[in-house]
Amino acid sequence: MTPVLLGVIGLALALPVPAALARTSWPLLVPRAGIVLWQSFALAAILAISGAALSTALWLVTDDRTTWWRIVLHLVILATGVLVWARFWWAASTVWRETRTRRRRQRHLVDLLGDADGMAPALRILREETPIAYCVPGLSSPRIVVSQGTISTLSTTEYAAVLEHERAHVRRRHDLVLEAFTVLHRAFPRFLRTDAPLVQSQVMIELLADDAARRACGDAPVARALVALAGAPTPAGTLGSGSAAAVRMSRLQDPDPRRVVASIAAYALSVLVLFAPTVLLAIPWMFHAWRTLVP
Amino acid sequence: MRRLGELERSVMNVLWDAVAPLTVREVLDGLGERDLAYTTIMTVLDRLGTKEMVRRERDGRAFRYAPALTRDAATSELLHAALDEAGTDRTAALVHFARTVDPTEARALRAALDEIESRTSP
Repeated sequence: MTPVLLGVIGLALALPVPAALARTSWPLLVPRAGIVLWQSFALAAILAISGAALSTALWLVTDDRTTWWRIVLHLVILATGVLVWARFWWAASTVWRETRTRRRRQRHLVDLLGDADGMAPALRILREETPIAYCVPGLSSPRIVVSQGTISTLSTTEYAAVLEHERAHVRRRHDLVLEAFTVLHRAFPRFLRTDAPLVQSQVMIELLADDAARRACGDAPVARALVALAGAPTPAGTLGSGSAAAVRMSRLQDPDPRRVVASIAAYALSVLVLFAPTVLLAIPWMFHAWRTLVP
Repeated sequence: MRRLGELERSVMNVLWDAVAPLTVREVLDGLGERDLAYTTIMTVLDRLGTKEMVRRERDGRAFRYAPALTRDAATSELLHAALDEAGTDRTAALVHFARTVDPTEARALRAALDEIESRTSP
């Protein structure tokens, strides 16, 4: 029974539960707790599925009630578990490698083509009229990149707000949050996952960086910078998904966006999701395994 | 390190401005007035080589150096990543301030901004 239950819990946490939660959008009200919540869902899913694989492997070895459908069922569970684990490590290593390669290349290009700014060592200014603002995060040598177009489009306070926003990304290692979600996203096969955690986490780190920027520069400059840069005409003719800008704007509209009760609820749910399968299923199963293996 | 970075920029600009691959001596001359050692320039060219910005070709007993990509190509590669509006960068190598929105959404954003402005400046 244990492998099937764990497997069901794992699959539920991988797909239908996050999809349902994403529709409510309340995790976006509490970005920090929301990130923890999404992470715990994905981790719990991986733990439950690998727990299912482990216990099913033991069942196949030890149980003597072997009917054909039970064997098939357990083999499917075992295969799913092995697949998710293998993909998890494969995803972790490829995401790590790809991200580092791309960042290094960007840093080299930016250092050769951008102008350094005497005031801020990590800042590089591109001679380009299109407004551009982004950061190349990283532990050793992060870069904050803006274009001449950004500086001429924005007022001094708006520009300061943009720099503060990017600095918050760099300082708080938001890149690690994104990398973790990218790994977890890639770890699940396409038919077993939803885009919600990755997409929402991308919005959440923007909300957190906005929070830092408005603490340092005030609400209005952050909002004006967002409108100026998100509303800028695109040279490439392609449009990104703009929902992030709308969510950020509505948080900026709220003078005090802290939600203590919702945060506590999200943290509590994270703990529950992470530990409930372990406590309810894994521990009894471990007792059972102990009794079976040690006569 | 900062100084080395500036030197890399200057050397790269000399190579980009040149019409043909240059020797270390020619790069040194191209840099002009500065009091720089031959070995320093070699080190810088080496570093640019490991960054795949410069390629080296043998010319008799010496080496000649040329940019691995033109200035325009480097700029467009940089901007391509910087303006990655479609979000094809799925590894989150870069974190953008904001992605461009469509006109309808831009109007909604401006309306929200008016509300914030009226709140913060009584």
